[in-house]
Order: sequence, then structure tokens, then C-alpha cells
Amino acid sequence: MIMMDKILKSIDHIPAFPITIMKVREMLRDEDYSVNAMVNLIKYDQAMAANIMKMGNSAYFGSRQRIGTLRDAVIYLGRNNLIRIVQTAGVSRFFKHKGRGYVEKANELWEHSVAVALMSQILSRKVLKGEDDKLYLAALLHDVGKTVMGEFVYDSFEEISRMVAEEGYSFLEAEKKVIGIDHAELGGKIAEKWNFPKEIVDALTYHHRPDYMEQNNNVTAWLVYLADQVCMLMGVTGGFDGLAHRGVSDVMHKFEFYEKDLEQGMITLTEDLEHAKDVLGIV
Amino acid sequence: MSEIVVGIADMKFSNNTNDVLVTYALGSCIAVAIYDPLVKVGGLLHFMLPDSTLDINKAKESPGMFADTGVKLLFKSCYTLGADKKRIITKVAGGASILDNTNYFRIGEKNIMALRKIFWKNNVFIDREDTGKNYNRTVRLEIAGGSVFVKSSEGFKCEL
Repeated sequence: MIMMDKILKSIDHIPAFPITIMKVREMLRDEDYSVNAMVNLIKYDQAMAANIMKMGNSAYFGSRQRIGTLRDAVIYLGRNNLIRIVQTAGVSRFFKHKGRGYVEKANELWEHSVAVALMSQILSRKVLKGEDDKLYLAALLHDVGKTVMGEFVYDSFEEISRMVAEEGYSFLEAEKKVIGIDHAELGGKIAEKWNFPKEIVDALTYHHRPDYMEQNNNVTAWLVYLADQVCMLMGVTGGFDGLAHRGVSDVMHKFEFYEKDLEQGMITLTEDLEHAKDVLGIV
Repeated sequence: MSEIVVGIADMKFSNNTNDVLVTYALGSCIAVAIYDPLVKVGGLLHFMLPDSTLDINKAKESPGMFADTGVKLLFKSCYTLGADKKRIITKVAGGASILDNTNYFRIGEKNIMALRKIFWKNNVFIDREDTGKNYNRTVRLEIAGGSVFVKSSEGFKCEL
């Protein structure tokens, strides 16, 4: 398919994944990382440093001290928040003015991505008994394929919507049928290009169909799937595809989730989103 | 005309005929629009969950989040502006689900069922509704005449 070749070529032009994120992750593995070294590492990436300053006092990251400098952020945010803020600040660049074809307003896709990332941590606290920055990153990036696919979906939008409305296709299935590739598969290819571990690549590729995964024990992928579904139900959608995605009921048994757990998760997410307004504002 | 946005878990009411109450992107959540045509008083609720017993403290702080506490707040607020239950027209939209929603998180349906039960107990009749299915909705209530418009994420728009 000509369209598919064009799309695959266009991912060659996608900017490199911010190396600072990887370096920060690496540095944080060492229990006594040096504050100076961390500040120097982050400040080198000016766009990221600026975003961190915009988000540093956001209630979501909950520092008791006022964050006035990058150094304050490194000292006061604490390890977990630091890695999450660095990831958010760095990833946001891929969601600037993108998403035509899926969304009306540019920041809708970013809002959805942040909401899924926040929800992934709510679920993670329940399942993994703690927060998980790899899951956070996968959730934040799960729809990155849409930033490239948008233009192509825009051109085929009528046909895709007709198949969804009249022929019982899910949005994803219709994308694949009309364009030759869907936004989830494309997201996986982008993650591969960025040399991400298989766990994250699969989490992107299978974020609508984790039941199709060969390695069924990839908890990251299943939790991204569930976080995405809950956000879609709450109306924090990543675009016109809205709710036209399939439910995979295994997910509830897999984690011994009850509907009540998800309902409580929805309440927590409304609070987190309220606290994360500055985070939504960076794109 | 001024547009007043009703957020998720929120409720707004008005008797200003210039106002349009609007709520965006309903998924499994439900919008309840009520209107008294005689005094031109209307209210719009966007609730998220069926039952406030899930989190009673949250319900106190944010009653619009749940069907039971939200509906009560909606009607009581409109009564303060002179609306009368006998004249109130009630319209409902939302409660959507994802595809093949079998045995798994039927929150949209639960919301619809909870709402029906509350209305039944309180002798409220649903005049119009557009619920279920698999798309997002935006709902508008015009205080001037009580018209309610529903726009779906699939693009079509209709008066309820």
C-alpha cells in the first residue's frame, strides 16, 4: 500500500527521543546521585528545563517547598516525582500541534495522554503496590502513533467513520483496513526506532488488544490498556475514535479488579487531573 | 448569549434567558437537563457514578459526582429559582459504553439504571433520552426556551 509506505517513511523524520530522560533514569538508579550532576544534566536540555519549571509547583507533584529553580526541583521533588516530571517534560514535545485527524484541538491528545499516565499510576498503586515510572512512560506515549497517523486518518476519515458506524468495525480495525496500519502498531514502530525495551514497545503496539500479545505477562501493556479504557469512558478521549474500541474482559480477572476499584479510580483521577492543570498547560 | 460550561461531576442552573448550559465529552457519564417552561428555569448535571455510598465524604464535597446526590442537588437548586416539580421537563443523555462490553465495567449501563431507579422512586418522568451506544456526546440546554441539543462524536447533531 502506497499510504502505508508513506507513513513508515514519515517516522524516519520523527525527532530522536530525548536522551536526557534516559540519562536521568540511569542516574537515578544510583541511590546517592549528585544534585549538581543532575542539575547540569537537565539544564542542558533547555526545553525540558523550562517545562519542569512550569510544572514544578503543580499540586500533583506535591512539593512542600516552593520550587523556584531547577536545583530546587531536583532537591525537593523526590526521586519518584523527579523521574515523572522529567518524562512528562520531555515527552510533551511530540504532542505539540499534532493530532489533526483525531482531535479538534491540539492539546486534546496531550490531555488524554497525561490522564492515561495518571490513571496508570492509580492502577499501579493497587496492583503493583506502588508507582512505576516505566508504566508511566508507556502510558504517556501510548498514542504517539496518532501524532504521525493524524494526517492520513484525516484524509480517510469519512470512510473510517462509516465503517465504524455501519459495519461494526472498531476504529482500530477500520484504520488497519483502510490505511494498512493502525495507530497502535505505528506507535510500537516508533518506540522500536527509539530503541525502547520490548515491554514498552509491546505496551504501545497492543494498547487496544493486549489479548493479542504473545508475552501475556506484560503487566505494563495490560495496565496501559485498562487506564486508556477508563479515561475513554470518563470522556477524556484521545480523539474522534472515542469509545469505538473493544473491551477485553480478561483484564478484570487478571488483576482481580472489581468494578468498584475502577469506580474509585475514576474519583481519584478527577482529583489528580485537577491537581495536574499545569501539566496539561505545557503543550 | 453566554455559554456556561458544566464540568465533569458538576451542576449549573440558571434563570437568565441569555444563558446556555453546556457539557462536553460525555462517555459513560450522564447529563440530566431539567427545565420549567413557565418560570424559564433550567439546570444541567453531569454525573459520573451511580451511587454516593462508594465515597460519602467525596459526595459531600462534590455531590454532582453521583447520580443520587447530584439529582437531588439539581432539583433543589432549580426549586430555589421558582421551578415546580409538576412542570419540570426532564431530558437525559449519555451512559455510553465501549464495544463488546460483556462482563466488564458496565459503568454506563449502571449509571442509566441508577438514574431510572431514582426517578421512579421520586415520580419523575423522563421526557426524552438518548443513552447507551458507543460514542461521546456534548449536551446543550438553552435557558430561553428549554431546548436541549445533543451532538455526538460521530458528528451528528439533534434536538432532544
